[in-house]
Amino acid sequence: MTFFEVKNLTFGYASGNGSVIRDFSLQMEQGEVVGLLGNSGCGKSTLLRLIAGLESPKSGRIQIDGKVLVDQGQFVEPEQRGIGMIFQDYALFPHLTVEQNILFGLHRLSIAERLVRLKEMLALVQLEGYGKRYPHELSGGQQQRVAFARALAPRPAILLMDEPFSNLDAELKTKIRDDLKRMLRAAKMTSILVTHDKADAETICNRIIRMTR
Amino acid sequence: MTGALLRRSLRRKLNGWVTLSVVGAFLALLPSLYIFFGLFQKQNENWQHIQEYMLLDYALQSLWLVLGTGACTIIVGVTLAWLVAAYDFPLRRFFSFAFVLPLAIPPYIAAYTYGSMLSYTGSIQTILRDTFGLTLDQRYFDIMSMKGAIFIFTLFLFPYVYLITKTFLEKQSAVFIENARLLGKNQTHIFFRIVLPMSQAAIVGGASLVAFEVLNDFGVTKHFGIQSFTAAIFKTWFGMYDVESAIRLSAWLMTLIIGIFIVERLVRKRKKYSSPTNRSTPLTRRKLRGIPMYATVIFGLVIVSFSFVIPVVQLSVWATWTYGEVLNETFWKLLSNTLFISSISITILMLLAVIVANVIRFSRGSIFAVALTRLISMGYSIPGAVLSIGVMAVVMSVDKELSSFYSWLGLGANKLVLSMSLFMLTFAYIIRFLAVGFNAVEAGFEKTGNRYSEAARMLGMSMTRTFFKVDLPLIRGAVLTGFILVFMEIVKELPLTLLLRPYNFETLATKAYQYASDEQIHQAAIPSLCIIAVGIVSVIFYHWLGERKAK
Repeated sequence: MTFFEVKNLTFGYASGNGSVIRDFSLQMEQGEVVGLLGNSGCGKSTLLRLIAGLESPKSGRIQIDGKVLVDQGQFVEPEQRGIGMIFQDYALFPHLTVEQNILFGLHRLSIAERLVRLKEMLALVQLEGYGKRYPHELSGGQQQRVAFARALAPRPAILLMDEPFSNLDAELKTKIRDDLKRMLRAAKMTSILVTHDKADAETICNRIIRMTR
Repeated sequence: MTGALLRRSLRRKLNGWVTLSVVGAFLALLPSLYIFFGLFQKQNENWQHIQEYMLLDYALQSLWLVLGTGACTIIVGVTLAWLVAAYDFPLRRFFSFAFVLPLAIPPYIAAYTYGSMLSYTGSIQTILRDTFGLTLDQRYFDIMSMKGAIFIFTLFLFPYVYLITKTFLEKQSAVFIENARLLGKNQTHIFFRIVLPMSQAAIVGGASLVAFEVLNDFGVTKHFGIQSFTAAIFKTWFGMYDVESAIRLSAWLMTLIIGIFIVERLVRKRKKYSSPTNRSTPLTRRKLRGIPMYATVIFGLVIVSFSFVIPVVQLSVWATWTYGEVLNETFWKLLSNTLFISSISITILMLLAVIVANVIRFSRGSIFAVALTRLISMGYSIPGAVLSIGVMAVVMSVDKELSSFYSWLGLGANKLVLSMSLFMLTFAYIIRFLAVGFNAVEAGFEKTGNRYSEAARMLGMSMTRTFFKVDLPLIRGAVLTGFILVFMEIVKELPLTLLLRPYNFETLATKAYQYASDEQIHQAAIPSLCIIAVGIVSVIFYHWLGERKAK
């Protein structure tokens, strides 16, 4: 059964003419990892922002688990969507520690549950003992894992990743990529990975979609 | 189809933040609307008289003042900016900061300080007479004139031109100037053919700030007896009790200001030069030697003395003569009044500034955001006298509307509650200085970017919770900057305070002005020095921020 569906999505910036995305459709099963591959400027990051609710489409529909997120008449705000996202530069809050960053999205849980979840997440990303550090005290790879833990902690229905490897050097990248694959499988996460690197997508994803302008 | 889309986006975007911003912007626009409606009222007899005999005079006097000051500040400001940015000479780092200090001294304080120093009984002529036995022609000391006013304005407003031009030259010009040098051009050629045309936008930006300050001024022109527009508004309002004509004069002045605005836009339109690469190499400074070096240092020292050291020293001397008489309970009352009104105004102002900036950053570039920014920043270019008359008109008509409510409260009929209270002054301060606070906050948001807020929203936080948990901690520094800059502006603001304060409510600025206009100039020294001290603190703070950013 289709878990996540994008139908005839069209988007254009208010200032520009023409559409960045035209009539885009996609269906995903639960637990599937889809890679969106394309050159810069083809609209793949915009697509993620539309799914996340950070931009609103001109037309089309997005729904998840039978619930409509956006169509002509409705718009669910990003904080109500239950979608996790890993940003290209991670956007870890610089004024909060690793623990506080991971706890940030857990405000709907009880305090006891929060701590349990925090422990689970630190274990999953193998960063036990780093909880009290600030983001700038971590290496690039560690930061990326914190971003992953933070996005995954509130148990999102779907995880979006926007070029999560672009800030890592080549050597580190292979290892992190394998780690990420392991963690995604372990969490059975339905996810979309945006990248311009074919190897990234081939390693991690079940299915690859090429986007062209 | 599109109707549904519109409804969707309206429902989405109409939250508390947006509503508050729109209400704020509308309130900021209200006084100006009142003034423009004044133009369509029926003209009274007085106006015909003013129009026939005085209007042209007012306009010409204001125009000369603006043009004269504009030209002189450009000459002084650009020269100093070029010297500091492109050359190395002894005391350069000191000068680079000292040339900003005059901003700490409001021109009206400088005006009565110099006016008194140069008078027959003032310190300069006394020293000349007693020590050198010289009695010179009084014409040499006539500062209470148009030339004198231009002199004062130039000395204390040139930093606007200096600062903007210097920043531009330091950050943007290196590539072009180095290339010109490689192409074998000499320094004079580079200055006139490269530097001047390139920094045109920066210079015009600085000069238009100067023009707004000059048109806003009331203290200098009043003290020197110049019939500027602002002085004329005061005269028709308080001398002839003719509010209608005062509003009409204000409308004319606004037209002049809008004219300056348009000229500025036209000049700057296609001239925003910047180097194509983001990587801006700093300009390598040339070492000055010999006569040019001495000339530069002497020129710098002369400017610093006239625009800062001499007036401050003179005021300090007067302060030592009068502190016993001035420092009493009334003085503490002045201080607490000043602090009280400024803290209330700043708090509301910064709240509004933060709200609007937070709304604008998510819709940057849209027509809505541009319009909101314009409206919010408008107050800063409206002269104090004009704004006061607009605010007064608005508040009085609100009072009129509320009169039945007042009598229901048992306050009596025809009572003017709001117009007699501090409400009016607070309202006016907020409109006038909103731009200052807003710009500071916006710079903070621009630096942090939107991604942290987006990350927070993705983690399930609403816009408001995101603001308190993520945005506010990240822009704390910018908000503090806004507080300090607005504080300096309010403390030194004269025309607004003078016109809109409740009866007998004195601040440092109004008291200094009152002493000065009662020929008790020595007594004005202590309140003036307090105002200057606040100014120095914020100039230092601003400079320190700029230095930190440069690193």
